[in-house]
Amino acid sequence: MKRRLYATPYAMWMLIFTVVPLLFVVYFAFTTKSGEFTAANFGKFFRPGNLPVVFDSFRLAFLCTVICLLIGYPAAYFLSGRDFSRGQALVVLILLPMWMNFLLRTYAMMTLLEKNGVVNTLLLKLGLPPQNLIGTEAAVLLGMVYNFLPFMILPIYTVMKKIDRRVIEAAEDLGAPPMKVFSRVVVPLSVPGIVSGITMVFMPAVTTFAISRMLGSGMIYLIGDTIEDYFINFNNRNVGSALSLTLMVLIVASIGLLRKADPRGEGGALW
Amino acid sequence: MYDEQRLIEILGVSKRFGDAQVLHNIDLYIRKREFVTLLGPSGCGKTTMLRIIGGFEMPSEGKVFFEGKDITDVPPYRRRVNTVFQKYALFTHLDVFDNIAFGLKLRKLPKAEIEKRVKRMLKLVKMEGYEKRAVESLSGGQQQRIAIARALVNEPEVLLLDEPLGALDLKLRKEMELELKSMQQELGITFLYVTHDQEEALTMSDTIVVMNGGRIQQIGDPKRIYDEPKNAFVADFIGQSNLLTGVMLEDGTVMMAGKAFECVDEGFGTNEVVDVVVRPEDIMVVGTDVGMLEGIVESVLFKGVHYEMIVSTGEARWKVHSTSMQPSGSQVGLTIVPYNIHIMRREPAPAAQEEGEEM
Repeated sequence: MKRRLYATPYAMWMLIFTVVPLLFVVYFAFTTKSGEFTAANFGKFFRPGNLPVVFDSFRLAFLCTVICLLIGYPAAYFLSGRDFSRGQALVVLILLPMWMNFLLRTYAMMTLLEKNGVVNTLLLKLGLPPQNLIGTEAAVLLGMVYNFLPFMILPIYTVMKKIDRRVIEAAEDLGAPPMKVFSRVVVPLSVPGIVSGITMVFMPAVTTFAISRMLGSGMIYLIGDTIEDYFINFNNRNVGSALSLTLMVLIVASIGLLRKADPRGEGGALW
Repeated sequence: MYDEQRLIEILGVSKRFGDAQVLHNIDLYIRKREFVTLLGPSGCGKTTMLRIIGGFEMPSEGKVFFEGKDITDVPPYRRRVNTVFQKYALFTHLDVFDNIAFGLKLRKLPKAEIEKRVKRMLKLVKMEGYEKRAVESLSGGQQQRIAIARALVNEPEVLLLDEPLGALDLKLRKEMELELKSMQQELGITFLYVTHDQEEALTMSDTIVVMNGGRIQQIGDPKRIYDEPKNAFVADFIGQSNLLTGVMLEDGTVMMAGKAFECVDEGFGTNEVVDVVVRPEDIMVVGTDVGMLEGIVESVLFKGVHYEMIVSTGEARWKVHSTSMQPSGSQVGLTIVPYNIHIMRREPAPAAQEEGEEM
């Protein structure tokens, strides 16, 4: 029981920076500017003008998650079969982007995609017409995948690394050629990692506002941007709080559905 | 019993992992329906041998033949061989039924046929009614049975078993030994069994292959291996032994422990230095007046069926098994009849015994 003591610093941290702010958010969400109770703030979320924004946010987050999974899963499979006492370079390549602040990474992406950026300069040199890259949905999506891909690879890699070599051999022994070993054994056994990866990519992707702001250059407007606007530009933390709270519930619900695929939480449950 | 037809033949197989040579030029054949055991201490290369036959390792040199066809390069999934792995290696994402049905489903057998065969297997391993259970909810012994069923259901020509009873407790192990043996006879499948447990090997095998340091030390049926060990290693590894250095004085007479003994071995050179093995149960404890040797009991241990005594006769210390107990410190006589003295030619100690990593 004494062990509880060790959690005290973290518990204090959580209390001050998570629980208390969350209570504020709940309080603001249910009150007007003058402090009276209201549920009207939530109406703003479902306001016709806002719904396409919500839809776009979920759609982009979904696309980003699918692309991350399509790229990340094979990468994790490849990495898990390697002996990293020697092949360290590969891990570094995958992890390197994670060591940099994500704003820096996104700025780097900006300089690549800008009107007079690296890509367009290159195109001109090759005698090709410059493209309108920045401010497109594709640019935002690219930025999201670029930023969140490692969060897909790592949990899947971790789970795959734990798969007993003998289980793979047992499948081969029972007559499974490599493709069948992969589909019948490796994939099912890595489901917990997939669930974890999807969670870790989808959650930040659906709430992102910096990436859409920087690479969307005002053309792509997501729910994260809306919330930011209410807090900062419209100076209306009540509606901002209501939007945040609604979004949170929606995310928790979608992740909850996903959790059914990994009831034992082997991929390291996040909640 | 087994046929004379050779099912698997291994010719000149060597295996190296980096600098470590795990197998040295192994020749071995396994006959149809034979129960063959690879027996040896850990690191002797027995598991590597099994993995080469299963297709999980490639020999560095040499060839593996199956019914006369070279299968050295054939991948595991195309070999008519199935394996029971050391720690079972069951599929934790599948229930008992789907674990056993794994191989049959890959072969796309009709559903009814799969069901029938899985049911029959569950009956064979005495696990009826466990179809829907998660494998992780089973005990070690039950998991073991499922692993055996999962392999046997495919009706392999050869079943490879890699220390399958290692994780079970003694009582269960003894039971499984008998069951495995009767399954093998009932199904008429060739078994290749790997163990470091000499009792297991003696109980179940038609043929025992004793291995050490990546080399075959002796091949023979259990009785022959026990009664006529070919060298000091085999004698020491199979059963408990008194291992002494002796000198052949002439045919039928050996000098050991400071005395000349009558023995039945012939054909050694005069004054040739030899290894002598005497089993503890072959030494009779008699009165000091009639014994060939006289000694003092140093210690006594009760072992259940017999007592194990250490008797010192000055020049040697003997491990003696006897059903009657002599108290520690008492004077006793020891007698050994000629045919219980096993004389073995000294082998030049294998230079630097490679300790291969058990894979």
